[in-house]
Amino acid sequence: MAREGDRGASGGAEDDPPIFNAENLQSNIKSIHYSRTFLSIIGGVIAGIWGFTGLTGFIFYFLVMAAASFGLAAKAKFSICTYFDSWNRIFLDGIFGGLMSFVLFWTFAYDIVHIF
Amino acid sequence: MAEDLVLDTAIRDWVLVPLSVVMVLIGVLRYFVSKLMRSHQAPDLKVVKEGQVILRARNLRAAAGFIPAKSFRSRKTYFTNEENGLLHVPKGQAQNAQAQMFSDPNLAMDMMKKNLSMIIPQTLTFAWVNFFFSGFVAAKIPFPLTQRFRGMLQNGIDLSTVDVSYVSSRSWYFLNLFGLRGLFSLILGEENAMDDTQRMMQMSGFGFDPSR
Repeated sequence: MAREGDRGASGGAEDDPPIFNAENLQSNIKSIHYSRTFLSIIGGVIAGIWGFTGLTGFIFYFLVMAAASFGLAAKAKFSICTYFDSWNRIFLDGIFGGLMSFVLFWTFAYDIVHIF
Repeated sequence: MAEDLVLDTAIRDWVLVPLSVVMVLIGVLRYFVSKLMRSHQAPDLKVVKEGQVILRARNLRAAAGFIPAKSFRSRKTYFTNEENGLLHVPKGQAQNAQAQMFSDPNLAMDMMKKNLSMIIPQTLTFAWVNFFFSGFVAAKIPFPLTQRFRGMLQNGIDLSTVDVSYVSSRSWYFLNLFGLRGLFSLILGEENAMDDTQRMMQMSGFGFDPSR
């Protein structure tokens, strides 16, 4: 995860509306994207090895994503506006992008371990 | 509950793994080839100037709450003045962004090169998969699907009683195609993988006419 200590995105004058440093915001969003992708891949392999099938696997995926969101929020010390421009960035962004990678690695691991 | 097929280990060794490895390698190759082939054009002075003016106007818009109203208005008039405003374009003369894009030959060539570099490896790999890896069950997807997907997923398999979860290698190819995007963005850095979906969205968004 990127060091978020010195990556505050909104700063400057504290009147409303807050302005955002676009570069830092972009870098934060990128780090969220990377961690979600990585976690989908690892989650897919785990789901395959444990032999989840059907709905259980998808529930596992959303659990992993929720844990990731919680971890990201905790890393941002729960003050989202310091690092991002909206709550949706942490919670919803990139979930469906990671779904395809999850399914691929889930299928792969499941087949290698259970079918072959 | 459907019967559980036992598949030959050789399928795993010689179909699943090589297909994935080949697709990863082709993606990496495509990335490096596109990097080498990217023609570096010297930026046009006029275009750069226009870009900077637009950037300045955008900053003005974003930070408008922080300056006094009078200075905001005077800056705004500087940009949009009828006679000599920097950003003022008379109605009807504004070029459609898409037309502009196609009239610039370098840009069009770049786009065509990128499109080709995306399409050709995909087509070749698909043909290779179809030729070598057809006619047998390749993998089992861990979630059940309805019967309607049977035609799409079980393409080379001509038995209609096999569970839809057992798919042919063509569907393994498509699964890899979509799933490896995330992997590419991790190993190649910075969303270089599969820009085509974003670019397709851009191209469809250029249909609007700015003079209206």
